[in-house]
Amino acid sequence: MSAHRDEHLELCAALALGAIDERDRRELEAHLAAGCPECSRELARLSDDVRTLAASAPPVAPPPAVRARVLAAVRSRAPAERPARGRVVALEPRRRIAIATWAWAAAAAVLAVSTVVLWRVGEDLRARLDESRGQMAKLQTDLDEARRWAALLDSPEARLVELLPTPAAGLPRARALYDPAARRAVLVFDSFAAPPGSDYELWAIRGDGPASLGLIRADASGRAVVRVHDVGDPASLQAFAVSLERAGGSTNPRQPQGPVVMVGGVGG
Amino acid sequence: MSDQDRDLFCIERMRAGDTRALEELYDRHSPMLYSLALRIVGRASDAEEVLQEAWLQAWRGADRFDAARGTVAAWLLTLARSRAIDRFRKQASRRRAETSVEIDPPRGGDEPPVQAAHRQLHERVTTALSTLTPQQRQVLELAYFSGLSQTEIASRVGAPLGTVKSWTRQALLRLREVVPQEEWA
Repeated sequence: MSAHRDEHLELCAALALGAIDERDRRELEAHLAAGCPECSRELARLSDDVRTLAASAPPVAPPPAVRARVLAAVRSRAPAERPARGRVVALEPRRRIAIATWAWAAAAAVLAVSTVVLWRVGEDLRARLDESRGQMAKLQTDLDEARRWAALLDSPEARLVELLPTPAAGLPRARALYDPAARRAVLVFDSFAAPPGSDYELWAIRGDGPASLGLIRADASGRAVVRVHDVGDPASLQAFAVSLERAGGSTNPRQPQGPVVMVGGVGG
Repeated sequence: MSDQDRDLFCIERMRAGDTRALEELYDRHSPMLYSLALRIVGRASDAEEVLQEAWLQAWRGADRFDAARGTVAAWLLTLARSRAIDRFRKQASRRRAETSVEIDPPRGGDEPPVQAAHRQLHERVTTALSTLTPQQRQVLELAYFSGLSQTEIASRVGAPLGTVKSWTRQALLRLREVVPQEEWA
């Protein structure tokens, strides 16, 4: 990686402000991609400093109508809610025809064709209605599930658990949102790409020992979200922990075989 | 749970297609985004469109949010600012092509109220900016609100590029010192 220099911190400031020159951007992006921890940290802090600068804009509340427009536009784009679209055919204005008999013959033909077309459209609509009913049922199931997850955020019982790296580890970060009443937990992991040939594994540490909650598979950006439907008896759960295992995880679901690199107590 | 944690979970829910998560984020951050957009584009109708575009972009691009690079609030501000700067540049090229510019009529007295916390933060930041040197203030202003690159700023203020770079970083550090993030985030 290109060695860290103080000039890189100046480039971080320019990037955070959105004023960086193209050549500098390429240099800094390469430097960041090579994993400079100092610049990564500073860039995150500078982006908050820029947020402070943004607050120097005189405060004006947005008109409420914009909220409605944004939500309507987003809802029309939400993939799960997007209705199946019918095809729209543009109709050209017809030229007037002067000859009356010709017009009557044409009208009769149009009527005959229209009847057939309308019957076909009716069949088509019926098929789409059946399809829509199926989609509605699935949406309802999805919605119920989403509501149960959203309820976690509002639950007065919900606890936020921070998992901190042990001294042996690098910079990965994890947080768990856990509701003892519902026994559900959502864990969010950042900078969590496992080294080649290994996997991170999530554990619930209970009174009777560890229990595997599965592997943590991060996306290309190193981020992973794990939803645990049932963390087990809340009275027995003491902590969440992460171990670094050989690819595929520990062969024993009750015992990590690699080093435990993160742990976060759920408190009481 | 802090606002930042709530924001992060909203992003997760948006990724799963939950429009209510977007509503929650909208209510928390739109006053700041709209004020920024209005400061840059200067016209309410343009600022409204910027706000709308920024939220649509946030909805479509929730997958691209990277927590390692900063907070959700900072990300949303980046989206709104870049839409606003685009529009500001288009306005500028239109202004060059036309002799007159249409101005929005002033709005009536039924504007929605500004949140007290937002107003207080604005006052603190304005005071903090007044402690910067005029050069530091000017480089921040030209970079962030006018969308100039550092090379353009250097030629505008007649200073070497290296000096502009160091003024910029010093200015942001000074702002951090006077208004620490923890106090208001």
